[in-house]
Amino acid sequence: MSNAGRRQVPASATAAGAGRASAADLETLICGVARGDQGAFEALCARAGPAVFGVVRAVVRDPSQTEEVCQEVLLEVWCAASRFEPGRGSALSWLTTIAHRRAVDRVRSERRAAERQLRAASHEVAYDEVAETVEARLDGERVRRCLGSLTSLQRESVTLAYYGGYTMREVAVLLSAPEATVKTRMRDGLIRLRDCLGGTR
Amino acid sequence: MSRLWRHEAHTLAGAYALDAVTGPERARFERHLARCHACALELAELREATARLAGAVAADPPAAVIQRAVAAAARTPQLPPADSGSRTRPRRPWPRRPWPRRPWLAARRRVAWGLAAVFLAAAAASGGVALTAAHHAGADQRSEHAIAQVLNAPDAVLLTSRVKAGGTVTVVMSRRDRALVFTTDGLPPLPSGRCYQLWLMGPAGDRPAALLPPPDHGMTSPVIATGVAEGDWVGLTDGPPGTPGHLRSAPILMLSLAA
Repeated sequence: MSNAGRRQVPASATAAGAGRASAADLETLICGVARGDQGAFEALCARAGPAVFGVVRAVVRDPSQTEEVCQEVLLEVWCAASRFEPGRGSALSWLTTIAHRRAVDRVRSERRAAERQLRAASHEVAYDEVAETVEARLDGERVRRCLGSLTSLQRESVTLAYYGGYTMREVAVLLSAPEATVKTRMRDGLIRLRDCLGGTR
Repeated sequence: MSRLWRHEAHTLAGAYALDAVTGPERARFERHLARCHACALELAELREATARLAGAVAADPPAAVIQRAVAAAARTPQLPPADSGSRTRPRRPWPRRPWPRRPWLAARRRVAWGLAAVFLAAAAASGGVALTAAHHAGADQRSEHAIAQVLNAPDAVLLTSRVKAGGTVTVVMSRRDRALVFTTDGLPPLPSGRCYQLWLMGPAGDRPAALLPPPDHGMTSPVIATGVAEGDWVGLTDGPPGTPGHLRSAPILMLSLAA
């Protein structure tokens, strides 16, 4: 990184950006990133890093691979920032969609490589771990409450897919349920979750 | 399209938002999505819910992760906005910052995957399979695969150079694969009868590697040159296309591939 020295942005600018933390901020930062503003990228990483890292870690598990995927995600955000369309969803959902997709791609290729059999044990771990982490955060508490308001099939379909990185076919095997049912439960589970959480953060 | 099929595609929205679909299912839903406004709206809402699932497990990443991402961004070109017609003008796709003067030394594996991310993200954003750009160039599946392989090679190095007449070229080379991927940005347009031609030049002779496809927003899709030999240079000509051993105009760019 021979040009690290020239990349410095005034610390105050970044701090001020972080201080105005609000939902709109992420969008503003992404627009800055799209213009090649590296200060905005640093600020974006600071703001969105935890959500990106968290979702990647939940899916990937392995610490060093988590870091690797997390870096890939952040770099993809840098590269593709100009393709973020504010009218088509929030910045957070754009960022976490990129993160989740990459994390899932990583675990699936790993699973294929290892030809690992699906085990019931892994699905329990997935949910327990999520529940614990969720409890740790204020925002997470609300998500957990809303997850609790789903039917168990909805909840398990959603969490196994999202945090476990399983396909609906795999989820169907894990839950011993027909695939078509799992597909429907994923959709109505998410709708119910959305309604419970409301549109705002 | 049958109603049953439409219904099926529609109910896939939840699984799609959760990335619980396979590649073919994903492609099928995305085709449906392109035509179904209601589905796009629903997907956006479902994704707000999945974003909250992500937020619920938020955890501070190690500082080094952010540092490395920021450092990698400093030397990674950005994509132009997606081609959607409603846009005003393409943004400058490359950062203003000059590339490291000795890209050899600065180039590491990270750089290569950074560029790979650029190409792959470009493909993803344009809604196709990986490396859609290569499709536009008329390349077949095999060349797409070959390009991806070079970009992902463990020994891939990235080089860039400015062209005197204007514009930049970017090369990702893998010695292991004896191949390189070449792309350009902002080269001046040429009058008819002349075209940009990529050459490998060296002790093994002057070999034309590819004619560059017409640029899209100033950028050309990646082309691959295989059979890179020891001591080769990358050359670019802008005259009438030449044949092996017969350059028909002086190269406007010569770039050494020596380590």
